Amino acid sequence: MAASGVAAPTRTEVLQLYRSLLRVARQFCDYNIREYTKRRTIDAFRDNKNLADPSQLSAAFSDGKAQLEVAKRQALVYSLYAPKVKSIMDIKPS
Amino acid sequence: MASQFLRQTLIKTKPSTVIRRFSTAAAVASPTGYEEPTGVTMKGVKISGRPLYLDTQATTPVDPRVLDSMLPFYLSRYGNPHSRTHLYGWESETAVETARAQVAALIGASPKEIVFTSGATESNNISVKGVMHFYKEKKRHVITTQTEHKCVLDSCRHLQQEGFEVTYLPVGSDGLIDLDRLRKEIRPDTGLVSIMAVNNEIGVVQPLEEIGKICKEFNVPFHTDAAQALGKIKVDVDKWNVSLMSLSGHKIYGPKGVGALYMRRRPRIRVEPQMNGGGQERGIRSGTVPTPLVVGMGAACELAAKEMEYDEKRIKGLQERLLNGIRAKIDGVVVNGSMDRRYVGNLNLSFAYVEGESLLMGLKEVAVSSGSACTSASLEPSYVLRALGVDEDMAHTSIRFGIGRFTTEEEIDKAVELTVKQVEKLREMSPLYEMVKEGIDIKQIQWAQH
Repeated sequence: MAASGVAAPTRTEVLQLYRSLLRVARQFCDYNIREYTKRRTIDAFRDNKNLADPSQLSAAFSDGKAQLEVAKRQALVYSLYAPKVKSIMDIKPS
Repeated sequence: MASQFLRQTLIKTKPSTVIRRFSTAAAVASPTGYEEPTGVTMKGVKISGRPLYLDTQATTPVDPRVLDSMLPFYLSRYGNPHSRTHLYGWESETAVETARAQVAALIGASPKEIVFTSGATESNNISVKGVMHFYKEKKRHVITTQTEHKCVLDSCRHLQQEGFEVTYLPVGSDGLIDLDRLRKEIRPDTGLVSIMAVNNEIGVVQPLEEIGKICKEFNVPFHTDAAQALGKIKVDVDKWNVSLMSLSGHKIYGPKGVGALYMRRRPRIRVEPQMNGGGQERGIRSGTVPTPLVVGMGAACELAAKEMEYDEKRIKGLQERLLNGIRAKIDGVVVNGSMDRRYVGNLNLSFAYVEGESLLMGLKEVAVSSGSACTSASLEPSYVLRALGVDEDMAHTSIRFGIGRFTTEEEIDKAVELTVKQVEKLREMSPLYEMVKEGIDIKQIQWAQH
């Protein structure tokens, strides 16, 4: 990844990555994977909130970028083979 | 370009339309014929949605990150890792060796000590039968426990038929073995001590470090089945002093059909292969190594190392939520096995005055099991619970809740709600429960036919 140079990511870039990850998370049709991706994203960004060292910052950033690519691909794969029946957790009691 | 297409597909097309576009005649024979948009009908049971999954001791879902690492090896990178003459073989071999290093790193071993197999059952078979067959001239005795997994017990039975002697160590009511008893049972001709790390039914963690020390003292090889321990508790082959260790892929969010066997090099342990052939995996396990599966197992191990702390913290909270939730609403709930020395993702509960099969049948929206998946077809109570000395009636009503990486708080709450509802319903119908409430000790009743 070309972006993973020495320079630390800007605040805007980090926020953009965060939002992209959450957006992809919502696209998972599988209940458990969707919830996990959301939760893991939020917790990972919270854990790394106080990172100050530029090299650590850019390492975490490029890791997040890679995870985003994985999530994008897998959200598509999951949608291709989605079961017709949803999880009971996704069925709202009406 | 590619990402643009992806985005469009994701946004514009609903999953169902995507499926229709891709499905051809093959879809007619697809195994999903039981699915209707309104629910699932299978084995005469109609469920409105897919059940919430709380059976992670049986198997875990494949992590999407693991699948992502595997897919390339199902597509263009299909080479046989043992092909030495072309790129296809080389790239597969590199991937297999990377996976071997990933597995080794998780257990503190050297990659040279890892042999890929088809799963923990095969690893256990190689360990128990392979070691004893190799050293059969001098070693005629095996020590194992009564609560071991079926494949270890069955391998031991097989050895007994060949004339070997086997000691089945009893366990206490907490599911743990007595270390002094183990020490006493070791004989000069003991060729192997095989004790599992984490029990598959009750989640109890055996004192492996201490067992390892005893085995070292008597210089007896120590084998442990760590299928349920890998990626969940800290596994260190040197700390435990194991000579052999069985590992499984599908218990750690990896693919089914792959496992590994750790074999110590110093001091070297040797086995007789159970599978003969092309000499792959240093002749210990012949047969082409399944690159995609092995890559998946390696990725799952690396992920487990990264996520273990995070997962454990979460799963611990969920286990407490489940137990407290159930205990707050119903009485007569007993946890089977030690609560202090237990893997947090396992909760094996017995519900007094409830018939187990009816409870499981009533809990169709929660995917749980009464114990091991291998034995859940029979109505017999679990031999593990009987080894613990659990009463017959309580052993019949056990439910194993397995919590994993993908379990949510909402699922736990739902499981609590449904379990409580079902137990209350069954108790309302139970004459036994009525008698207990009236103060009759049902243990004193003389049943007419018994």
